[in-house]
Amino acid sequence: MSEFSYLKDPTWRKDVVRDAFGKGFLGFLVVAVLSGALCWRIKGTELFLETFVGDAELLAKLFPRIVIALTIAALIWVMLPRNRIASLVGADSGFAGLIIATIAGTVTPGGPSSAYALLAVLAISGADRGALVAFITAWATLGLQRILVWDVPFMGTEFAMLRFLISLPLPIVAGLIARSLPITVTFPDK
Amino acid sequence: MNIGLLLLSTVLLILLVIALRRREPIGPIVKRLVEQGAKLIPRMICALIAAGFIAQILPKEAIARYLGPEAGLMVIPLAAGAGLLIPAGPVIAFAVAAVFSKAGASTVGLVTFITSWSIFAAHRILIYELPLLGASFFRMRVLSVLLVPILAGVLAMVVGLITNFGAPTIMR
Repeated sequence: MSEFSYLKDPTWRKDVVRDAFGKGFLGFLVVAVLSGALCWRIKGTELFLETFVGDAELLAKLFPRIVIALTIAALIWVMLPRNRIASLVGADSGFAGLIIATIAGTVTPGGPSSAYALLAVLAISGADRGALVAFITAWATLGLQRILVWDVPFMGTEFAMLRFLISLPLPIVAGLIARSLPITVTFPDK
Repeated sequence: MNIGLLLLSTVLLILLVIALRRREPIGPIVKRLVEQGAKLIPRMICALIAAGFIAQILPKEAIARYLGPEAGLMVIPLAAGAGLLIPAGPVIAFAVAAVFSKAGASTVGLVTFITSWSIFAAHRILIYELPLLGASFFRMRVLSVLLVPILAGVLAMVVGLITNFGAPTIMR
């Protein structure tokens, strides 16, 4: 039972509600309402309704996918072997290190807070700079969570697949460039 | 359009089987799901609706001229530049991409735009990269990835010469 104790925690519940309907959400709501009002004024009732119904239908179609994608991300986030990754991308990990870093970046779910936290862990534990660049580039361009939650709903499955396939070599190229750059990198103390 | 849903469900099923076999506690998974869902879903709903309306209002000709097939090779630097101008998370970036798409931006332009944004999103650099990894790492990374959005655009253009595959569908 204690596994779910956070559900009864009033602070956690308040944080979740604030994340969902706080200031950030209100900003988006205002933009949606304003753009709707503007569309109505400029283009008339008929086109406004047509657009709104189209958007609603799209949302209904996308909702199950978004829930599934978020569940996948949560499962990966909990099961990701963070320490194992750190030991595989060390200073002399070579080309394999770049590939491992690319795969790790691709499957690392969540927003920048989790990705950069992991990047900092890798940096401190002595990862090679090419692997660091490959990791964060892969997270940014290939990140499965981003592709599933954002590319697929907004742009379509085909576009998502195309963008993923095109981006596959890019983190490795970036990692190779990073290794060849004559720049000394020092990390902040901590 | 059922392929996407099928693919997602298969991945989910595989992960669930792995989680069950490893006897992962379910509590933390549900916690993460609720937290991420709360952050994303309400905003995403608003962004999608706003994108639909904004696309109706915007001057489609201008966007099509700069980010569409008419722009030729210039579409790549222009779209890469547009990506730099979005210092915000995916909700805004993809809503903008959807608006571009509806207004007639080409697949090449959209791939370049999303790649450029995903690599250079300024808010991420300020909030996470500089504090956690420092200025010297940031300089080294920027020099390493400078060409990545251009490469993505060029690759998309090459693919576009061979096949039509990858044209955005959903928001059209």
